[in-house]
Parts: sequence; C-alpha cells; structure tokens
Amino acid sequence: MSGPGVGWYLIVAALLFGVGALGVMLRRSPLIVLLSLEIMLNAANLTLVAFARQHGNLDGQIFALAVMAVAAAEVAIGLGLIVAMARRDMPLDVDQASALRG
Amino acid sequence: MGDFLVWVVWFVAAGACLGSGIAVVTMNNPFYSALSLIGNLASLAVLYLLLSAEFLAAAQVLVYAGAVMVMFLFVIAYLGGRADAPWAGGSPLLRGAAVVAAAALLVEIVVVLGLAWGDELNGSAEIADSFGSPAEIGRLFLTDHLLAFEITSIVLLIAAVGGVVLGATREKGGATP
Amino acid sequence: MVFGAWLCLLAPLGGALAITLAGRFISRRIAGYVSTLTTFLAFGGAAIAFLALWGRDPEEREHVSTAYTWLAAGDFEVGLEILVDPLSVVMMLVVSGVGGLIVWYSMGYMAGDDEERRYFAYMSLFVFSMLLLVQAGNFLLLLVGWGLVGLASYLLIGFWHHRPEAVAAAKKAFVMNAIGDATFALAAVLLIWETGVLDFASVFEEAEGLSPTTVNLVALGLLGGAVAKSAQVPLHTWLPDAMEGPTPVSALIHAATMVTAGVYLLVRAHPIFEAAPDIQALAAILGAITLLLAGLVALVQWDIKRVIAYSTMSQIGYMFLGAGIGAYGFAIFHLFTHAFFKALLFLAAGVVIHHLANEQDMRRMGGLRAELPRTHLAFLVGTVALVGLPPFAGFWSKDAILASALADGSALGWTLFVAGLLGTLLTGLYAFRLYLTVFHGERGEAAAAHGHGEGPLSMLVPVGVLAVGSTIGGLLSVPGVWNPFTHWVEETGEALVEPSTGEEYLVSAIAVGLGLVGFLLARRAFQQGRQLVIQPDAWRWLEHKLYFDELYDTLFFRPAVALSNALRRNVEEPVIEGSLGELGAGTIQAGDGLARAQTGLLRTYALAIAFAVCVLIVVFVAVR
Repeated sequence: MSGPGVGWYLIVAALLFGVGALGVMLRRSPLIVLLSLEIMLNAANLTLVAFARQHGNLDGQIFALAVMAVAAAEVAIGLGLIVAMARRDMPLDVDQASALRG
Repeated sequence: MGDFLVWVVWFVAAGACLGSGIAVVTMNNPFYSALSLIGNLASLAVLYLLLSAEFLAAAQVLVYAGAVMVMFLFVIAYLGGRADAPWAGGSPLLRGAAVVAAAALLVEIVVVLGLAWGDELNGSAEIADSFGSPAEIGRLFLTDHLLAFEITSIVLLIAAVGGVVLGATREKGGATP
Repeated sequence: MVFGAWLCLLAPLGGALAITLAGRFISRRIAGYVSTLTTFLAFGGAAIAFLALWGRDPEEREHVSTAYTWLAAGDFEVGLEILVDPLSVVMMLVVSGVGGLIVWYSMGYMAGDDEERRYFAYMSLFVFSMLLLVQAGNFLLLLVGWGLVGLASYLLIGFWHHRPEAVAAAKKAFVMNAIGDATFALAAVLLIWETGVLDFASVFEEAEGLSPTTVNLVALGLLGGAVAKSAQVPLHTWLPDAMEGPTPVSALIHAATMVTAGVYLLVRAHPIFEAAPDIQALAAILGAITLLLAGLVALVQWDIKRVIAYSTMSQIGYMFLGAGIGAYGFAIFHLFTHAFFKALLFLAAGVVIHHLANEQDMRRMGGLRAELPRTHLAFLVGTVALVGLPPFAGFWSKDAILASALADGSALGWTLFVAGLLGTLLTGLYAFRLYLTVFHGERGEAAAAHGHGEGPLSMLVPVGVLAVGSTIGGLLSVPGVWNPFTHWVEETGEALVEPSTGEEYLVSAIAVGLGLVGFLLARRAFQQGRQLVIQPDAWRWLEHKLYFDELYDTLFFRPAVALSNALRRNVEEPVIEGSLGELGAGTIQAGDGLARAQTGLLRTYALAIAFAVCVLIVVFVAVR
C-alpha cells in the first residue's frame, strides 16, 4: 500500500474518537451531543475500514456500512426526540432533562 | 512522486478531519457545528478512498453527508433560536473527569494498539482491483452477510416508525411521550 | 422374679399414660382408681420379686435384667437394665407399698378438685420414676430416674399453679435439685472417662483401682446429688417451701420416698464411698449438721406441715449419718420405718387440714382430740414412733444408728453420737410440741368446715395401715434377738460397723430417756402456755431458718438477676435488638447512597460508560 500505513489511520481514528467522546461528555445541548456521537461513530467506521484494508477482507467495510445505516436511524430518532422536546417547550438542555433521577 | 502525493493528500485529509471534528465539538452555534460535521464527513470519504473503499466513500457522501446532515440542518432551522448551544455548565468535577476519561481512552487505544500489533501494522495485504467495489460489497451483502443486511433494513423500518410516532400530534389531548 | 420387677416398674408408667391419654373421657374418680390400682399392682410385682429372691441362696441374689442396649457409642455401651437384689427389692416394696396407700388416700383428699386427673397422672409418673431410680442397674438409668423424680416433684409441688407461692416453690425445688443433678452427671461423666463403664457391677469392681482424686471427685459428685435430693445442708432450703403442694404429695415425695433417694444412693454406691473415706465421713457430718439444724428450726415453726418437713430433714440426717459411718443396713432400716411414721404424720395432718378447710396454722388449732379421735390416735402413734419410744418403729431404727456411731469408736464417731443424742432431745421437743398444740388445750379459732368429720374411708384406711406399720414395723430388727432386715440389706454391702448388743441397749436407754425429757419439757411449756424458745434473738434466727434463704438470695439470686439485667441492658438491647434496627436502617441508608448514582444526568452516564470502557480495555489486554 502506498502512503501511510494502517497504523496512521488508526491513530487518526483514535483521536477522532477522543474528540467525539469529549463532545458527548462536555456539551449541554442535545444537538451538539448528537453531532459528537456521529463523530465517534465515524471514527469507528474509519477503524473498521482501515483494518479491512490491512487484512484484505471486505467484512470490515460491510460492517462499516451497517454502522452507517444504524447511525442514520439513530439520528432520525434523536432528532425526533429533540423536536418533540422543543414542541413541548422543554429547555434543550441535557442537564435539565433529569426526570430519571433516582 | 506518487507516494509523496498520497502522503500529502493523506495529511490534508487527516488534518481537515481532526480540525473539523474539533470545530464540531467546540462551536457555540449549532449550525456551524453541523457544517463542520459535513466537512468532517467529506474528509473521511477521502480517507476511505485512500483505503480502497470506494463504495463506502460514495455511500458516506451520499447518505451521511447528503441525507443525515440535511436532516440535521432541517431540524436546526426549525429550532431556530432555541437551538443555541452554550458551553457546558455542570460541576467542575464532572468536566475534569470527562477530560480525564477521554484522554485515558485515547492513550489506552494508542498504547494497546502499539503494544499489541505494533509490528503487523506496517504491512498490509495484497488486494485485487475490485477490492471495495460496489459489486463486491453487493455480492457479500447478498451472500455472506445476508442476515446483517436484512436486520439493518428492519432497524431502518423501526426508525421510520419511531420517527413518525415521535413527531405525531393529536388534535385532542397531546401525545403521551 | 424378673417379671415381677418389670411389672413393678411398668405398671405405674402404664397408669400414667392411660390417664394422660384418656384425658376427659374418664371421670376423675376413675383416674384415681387407675392410679391406685396400678400402684398396688406395682406392689404386687415387687412382692413377687421379693419372694422369688428370698427363695434363692444368698449368693444368687443379684440379678440384672437388660431390656435392650439403650446407648452405644464406640466401646461404651449402656443398657436399659434393671437390677433386682435385696436392696432394690426393699426399696421397691417401700415405694410401691407406701405409695399405693398414699395414692389411695389422695382419692379422698383430692376429691372435688377440678384437676384430679392431672394429679393422678403425675402421681403415677412419680411412682414410676422412683421405681426406675431404685431399680436402675447402672448410673445412667439411675440419673434418668433421678431427674424424672425431680420433674414429678416440680409438677406436683406446683400443682395448684394459680398460686404464685406454689409456682415459686416448685421452681426453687427444681433449681436446687438441678444443682445436685449436675454434680451427679459430672460424676457419671468422670466414671465414663476413667472406667468406660456405668453399670454397677463393673463400676464397683473398678472402684478400687481408681486414683484417689478420681474416686473422691466421683464420690463428691454423687454426694452432691444426694444432698440436693434429700434436702440436707446446704441444699435444704427447698423442702419447707415444697409444702405448698397437696398434703399427700408432701407425704409421698417429701417424706417417704423421693427425699430418701439420696440415702439409697449412698448405700448403693458404697464401694465408691468406701474408696473415698473422706467423702463418706463428709456425708455423715452433713447428716449430723442437718439433723441438729432442722431440729432447732422445727422448734419455732407455726405451719403444721413445715414442722413435719423439718422433722423429715432431721430424720434423713440420721440416715445420712448412718450411711456415712457404714451402717448401711440400719440406715435403710430407718428409711423403712421413717417411711411409715412420716407418711402417717403427714396423712394424719392432712386429715386435720382437710377437716379445718385447709387451715395449716397451728396457732389456730387446738383441742381437736374430741373432734378427730381416730386421727388423734394415729397422730400420737406417729409422734411416738418419731421420737423413738419403744416398742414403736422409730425406736429400733434410730437407736441402732446411734449405737453404730458409738461402736465406730473414732473421734468422728463420738461426735456424731453426741450430735445424734442431741437430735433425739430436739425431736422429742418439737414433735410433742406439735402434737400437744394441735390436739390438746382449748379449741382454737379454726372453724371446722361444714362437718367434714374425719374423712372418707379412702383416707382413714391408709392412715390406719400406716399406724399399724409404725407400731410393729420396727420389730424387724431387735438387737440380740433377730435382724432379718439388716441381714437382708447387708447382702449388698457389708456394714462397716457392728454395734454389740450391750452397746445397743445402752444407747437405747439414753435415747429413750432424752426423748422422754423432751416430752416433759414440751408438756410443761405447753401447760404454761409459753413457747419452747423464748430468747428473742435465738427465736428470730430460728424463725428465719438461720437466714439460709437470705444468704442464698444474696450470694446467688441477686448477682444472677443483676447480671441478667446488665446483659439485657448492655448486650441484648443495643447489640442484638439494636443491630436488627440498625440492619434495617443501614440497608435503607445503603440504598440511598447507591441511589445517588442515579443522577438522571445524561452526561454522568456517558462518563460512566467511558470509564468502564477504559477499564475493560485494560482487562482485555491483560487477559490476552
């Protein structure tokens, strides 16, 4: 393979994953949280594809495609939740949506 | 020369990827965050191409950037001012712990990967030209991974139904959730 | 003969079971008949055994019959064995004979009581237990009988359980007996430890070979049991209180039979005591102390039954004295005669009490000679027999013990002899004081309850039989003429001392003289209308029974109560009860603490997941 080896891609994916994790844990707006979640998913996809390339096995890419589909579905539902929250005039603040508090 | 070009492309794409990722996480305006994410997805598509995953790159742009992000933008537009996303409050302990956790994850991944497969990561298998082509992907989906294919479609169906349920309103008495 | 012995043992048990199982389906009278008849049946069995034994040669007069192996642990075995030998046959006859008479008497005395059936069941249980005790062929079975008579005693003392005094007295009797049971059991354990056997024949063979410490401890343990059961000093305080039970109970258990079990034990286990001469001497000394102490206390008692109870204590002191110096035959002979006249005294007193509607205070009695002529005669016979005037029974038996003490010749023997003579004087004093106060003088305040008269036949006949026995029973041992009784008993154990005929008659003369002196002094005091003990301090000490009860209260009861209260306050309530409450509260607190993990905040959950993943990565890598 020409260009950087698989390891480089993996490092990029790891960094992306960390960035996405920070976003999920640190932001208060549910929209941003969803976006960060997307970043994490994409980082995972990158890892999968990199390994697929390394082993010469397309299974990794198939998995990545499935992840993409599920991510789409999840985003749809997440956005639907946010819209529902907005419709009921609930504050769009993750910290304030604590009705499950024990 | 070819190799050098690949390296340059790689660096640009990786840099754009990380930069846009950071932008997504740090911006206050959700609209800008969404746009940054589109950039992220695009640079990822470039990286996929470099990894001989052509179909995946195309699907990424078409589906992810094209459909999913558009959905995001629709919602942000709908929310308007209410979508403003100030930075996190919450206890400093929580924030500090979050940073620590993320950093730990990062370090661990790198270390693990380095320790476990340090040597192997340099080599890569020989592949045919049709590696990553739509034909190959499609063939696999319909033979070896048929179950995953079918289940994924069911998941999408459920998501569609869920979306309708979440969005529904009734004329008399509000919806329950 | 074996059949006779087993019949004797099992008939009362059958009676008790029958009455218990029949419950309310039989009338109270029938319960009484069942109990009486089974007891007389036991007497029949005892008589059969006796006659069969008599027909054999003296060497063959020991027969052990084992029902089955009751307990087996490794090499150690204990069988359900009964021993039929001269001593046990005598005891069987006394227990079942006197017992039968007393149970018959109870039919009249207890008539009308609501719980008559329970009473008769308990009486039959007692008779069975006592027979088991005297027929046991090994120490374990003896201990079983020992405990069972204690149980029966407890049940019968506390028969009228709605009376708190009766319940308290029953508990007191049981607890003090339990002390004796414990020492007895320890002795038995020690025997198993050192010899590995418990049946009499084997133990007595081994007794010589045991170390002095062992045999002393065993003897001491047995003596402890005997002292408790026979109400000797220092474990005597339960007997006067036991008078709370019905009068026939007092007669049977606390005069004729149960309290004599200690004497039986001393005679039965004489090889052990002979191997531990110090302990045997101790038994004699305790007997002497008791006979003096009880005699003194009896001088000031006002309750008719308590006077007789202290008299019992005193007479058993004589028996202990006799067994302690080795005059086994005479000790058992005194047991035999004492059973007759003491039961007679109790039953006659019972007639008086019954007649006066349960009045027991002597001060309210008097002049009953006219109202109860036959009872008066019986009581007089009993009193004279007790004091030991010839030809009545007590004369022959008590003086024989005193003569044996004299014949012993040692310093101890002389001391015991003098003590015994003093006791005779005291006996004369208190016995005639009792007799005169109740039957002579002016008619007392106690009202004759609705013309009861002297009681039904069921009460009078046993009294009559016992009176006859008290009169002629002593003639079974006339010194110098014939001694069938003592020879019979001494086949199981040679007496250690044999008084000569001359010594016996000399002692008898002195004793009779002292008894008559006692009578005269009592009569003079009575005629002058004053008490025998005038000195106020002495009177106070004696009235309080030498403050033994108070002593034990301070030494044992109060510390026990204090300890229990302290434990309850400091251990049970805070620790045990508190811990239960704490357990509940702690669980709730733990739950609350854990619930704090449910913050409801998305971000904390995400954080938790992130941390978990970190940890998992490390785990997976490490495991790899």
